[in-house]
Amino acid sequence: MPCSALARRRRATLAVGLVGAAAAFAARIALGAGDAARGWWAPGQGGTLPAESSYPNPSGRLGVLSASGPVEATGQPFFTPLGKNGRACVTCHQPSDAFSLSVDTIRARWDATGGGDPLFAAIDGANCPNLAVADPKSHSLLLSRGLIRVFLPWPPRARDGGAIEPEFTIEVVRDPTGCNTSPEYGLTSAHPTISVFRRPRPVANLRYVTAAEFGVGPFNAKDSQPTARDPDTGRLVNMQLMADAREPTLATQAQSAVVTHLEAKPLGAAALQKLIGFETQVFAAQIDDVRAGALVEPNGPAAFGPHALSVGRTSVLGNNTTNYVFPIGDAWRQITRTGEAAHDARSAAREAIARGHDVFFFRTFWIKDAMHINTVGLGNPAKRTCATCHGMHMTGMDTANGWMDIGTTNLPWASETPQNPWTKDKPEMPLFKLTCDKALAPHPFLGRVIYTQDPGRALITGRCNDIGTIVMQQFRGLAARAPYFSNGSARDLRELVDFYDRRFNIQYSEQEKQDLVAFLAAL
Amino acid sequence: MTPERFFEIRCLALVASIALGVVVRVTAQTPTAQPPPEPRALTAGTHRSFVDCPVVRDTNTVPCWLAEHDGELYYLGIQTDISADFHPPYLGHRALVEGVVKDGARICGGIVLDPVNVSTLPEIDGTCNTILPAEDRYQVPFAPRPPGPSAGRLAFAPPPGAASAKPALTGPQEFTIEYDFDTPIMGRHSGVLTRIYDYAAQTHARHLLVTGYRGATLLSDGSVMTERETMPEARAKEVATLLIGAGLPRGAIEVGWSTDVAPPDGDGDWHVRRTVVRVEP
Repeated sequence: MPCSALARRRRATLAVGLVGAAAAFAARIALGAGDAARGWWAPGQGGTLPAESSYPNPSGRLGVLSASGPVEATGQPFFTPLGKNGRACVTCHQPSDAFSLSVDTIRARWDATGGGDPLFAAIDGANCPNLAVADPKSHSLLLSRGLIRVFLPWPPRARDGGAIEPEFTIEVVRDPTGCNTSPEYGLTSAHPTISVFRRPRPVANLRYVTAAEFGVGPFNAKDSQPTARDPDTGRLVNMQLMADAREPTLATQAQSAVVTHLEAKPLGAAALQKLIGFETQVFAAQIDDVRAGALVEPNGPAAFGPHALSVGRTSVLGNNTTNYVFPIGDAWRQITRTGEAAHDARSAAREAIARGHDVFFFRTFWIKDAMHINTVGLGNPAKRTCATCHGMHMTGMDTANGWMDIGTTNLPWASETPQNPWTKDKPEMPLFKLTCDKALAPHPFLGRVIYTQDPGRALITGRCNDIGTIVMQQFRGLAARAPYFSNGSARDLRELVDFYDRRFNIQYSEQEKQDLVAFLAAL
Repeated sequence: MTPERFFEIRCLALVASIALGVVVRVTAQTPTAQPPPEPRALTAGTHRSFVDCPVVRDTNTVPCWLAEHDGELYYLGIQTDISADFHPPYLGHRALVEGVVKDGARICGGIVLDPVNVSTLPEIDGTCNTILPAEDRYQVPFAPRPPGPSAGRLAFAPPPGAASAKPALTGPQEFTIEYDFDTPIMGRHSGVLTRIYDYAAQTHARHLLVTGYRGATLLSDGSVMTERETMPEARAKEVATLLIGAGLPRGAIEVGWSTDVAPPDGDGDWHVRRTVVRVEP
C-alpha cells in the first residue's frame, strides 16, 4: 500500500476512533455515569475526580475528562490545602467552572459561608489585605467581577533579580480598593507594589497552552524581545500561561501560586511533579447546549467536547482552511427540518452555532490601533477576522507569544463606569497614569501618556509598548466561567461580543452577534 | 477621505498646475527671471521619496496601501501576512516613502513604486486617517492570500526544503539589520535576530561585533532627512541587549557605532539605516 494511502487509512481509522470515543463519552454523560452535581469542591474534602464528569452551567453542561483515569483527591496537591489560609489550587480552579472560577460560583460560596471560605482570604481575595474581613465591600471586586488581587513589585525586576529600568513612570489616579495608595501595601510603601485585579485562568487543556512547537523562537515575533526559557531545561517556552506572561512554566507558576495565593512554602519536587501531572491531563469543554442539545455525537462537529481536546494536535496554526481553528464540519449546516418542534428548534440552534463559527472565521473587519497586532507586519488597520489572532487549533489562543492590547484595560476603550450628576455608581477598578519617556518613541497608538486599569505585561517588562497588553486566553469552557477578559469587564458572552463590536466598529448584525455567542458558548 | 474629497484634491492639483503653467509662461517672457525648475517626469525609473500620510483602500479582497503626495497617488503594496517583504504602514502616522516608479498600469489608482521602502514615522499624526471604500474598479487579483484564513500556509513562506538547499555558513559572517527611519528594532526583525543568534550559538562564537549606523535620505523636493545622532548607539546597544537576553554571553559581544552620515542620493537610501553584526566563530 502506498504511504499516502496508508496515511489516509490511518487518519480515517483515527477519525472513526475519535468519533466513537466522543460518542461513548456523550452517552455516558447522558446516562449520568461519572456525573457530578454542580457544586463546590472544597480543599481537602477528599473524594475522586472521575475520569469523566459533567457539570451544569447556564448554557448547558461542561464535560471534564481526566485522561489518565480517576484521580484521588487525597494526596493530590491540586486538591490539598497547603498553607495557612486553607486554600488549594482547586479553590480558584474548580472543575465545574472549566478549572477557572465563575462569579456565580464565587457569590454562591459567599452566601454559603458568609465570606468565611478560604477563597476570600485577605491576601488576594480581598481588595486589599488591610480591609475588614467578612465585609462584602472588602471583597467587592471578587464578588462583582471574579477578580483576584495580583500584587507586583515596582519597578519590576528580571527573573535573575537584575534591575529593569522602566520606560515610563506610574501614578495612581484612582484607587477604589485603597491598596495602591496604602502606606503598607501600595506604591509608596516600604516595598513599592502595584495591585491589579485579574480573573483566574483555566487549568485545563494545558497541553495546548504550553506547546511551543510553532511560532516560538529565540525572539518574540511580535516585538523581537527575547523569549523566556524554562529555567530547568533551557528550552524556549511560549509564555502563554499567565495574563502578563511572568511565569515561564507550569512549575514556576505553581510555585509562585503556592507561595502567594496559598501562603504556603514551595512544593517539594515530587509534589510539584504530581501537581503538574494532574494539570496536564485534564480537559474541559462544553458537551451539551440547552438549545442545540448534545454537542458531541457521531459525525458531529469534531472540535467539541473534552475528548477531542485530549487527542487534538497542539502547536497548529488554525487560521487557514486546511486546519480550522475549531473544525466543525458541515453536519450542522442546513439541517433538514422534520416538522417536529423540538427537533427543528434544536436544528435551528445547531445552525446558529455553525453560522457563529463562520462569523468567527470568515467575517472580516478592520483591526485598528491594537498593539502587537497591527505592529507585527499587517499594517494599521488590518482587514482580518477573529481567527487572525485567535488562531491556535482547538483553543483559539495565539500560537506565538500572545500578549496584545485590544483595549480591555487601556483607556479610551476599557469599560468605565459613566460619571454624571444622575448616578451614584462609582468606578470599581483602579486607574493608573503611565507617562512614557520623552526620549523614546511614543506608543504608536496611545502616545506618551496612557491611562489604564491594568498595565498588563508592562508591569513585568517596563516597556511602554507593553502597557495594557494581556496574554489572550483559550476559548474552551467559556460558558462555565463568566465573566470574561482579564479584568472581568464582560459579564457574559454577549457583552464580550459587544465590546469587540464597539472597539473595532465591526457593525455586526444582531443575527451575527447571536450566532457568535451561540458558537462561543458551545466551545 | 471620501472619493469625492480625493477627486476635489486631484482637481485642485490640476488647477494649481495650470496656474503654475501660466506663471511659468509669463515669467519666461521676463528677461531677468531665473529659468523654472524642470518638473520631474514620473517615467519608469524615477525615484520618488517623500513624507506624507499613507492611505488604505479597501477592495473586495485585501486592502491596498497607497500614499498621496503633491496631488498624486502612489501604490505601495497590499496587505498579506507577516511573511511578506512589504509591511504596510500605520494610519495615525506619517510615512517616509522611498521608491522607484515602475512602468505599467496603476494599481488601486496609484502609480506603482517598486522597489519601495516605507517607514512609519514614530510620532503620532491624527490627520493620517483615510480609509477609502472598496470600488469595483479597483481589484487585486494577484493577492497571494485573502483577508481572512489562508489556504494553508503563509503567503511568502519558502517552500518546504528551501532552507536546507542553502549552503551552511562557515567562518566569520556579517548580518545586516535594516530599520525604518529613526526607529529601533521592531517585530519584523525577529527573523534576522534569530539567524544571528542561531549562527553564534551553533558556532560557539567567541566574538560578536555589533555596529550601529544612521542614515539620511534625499527627498524628491531636494531636501535631506537625517536620522537622530543618538540612533547608532541606541541601535547597537539594543541589538546587543537582545542577543544577551536571548542567551549569548555578554563577554563575547562588543558594541560600536558611527554617527557619520553618508550623503544620500535618493537611490536605496534606506539600506544605510542599519546595524551590522559580525559573528566570529
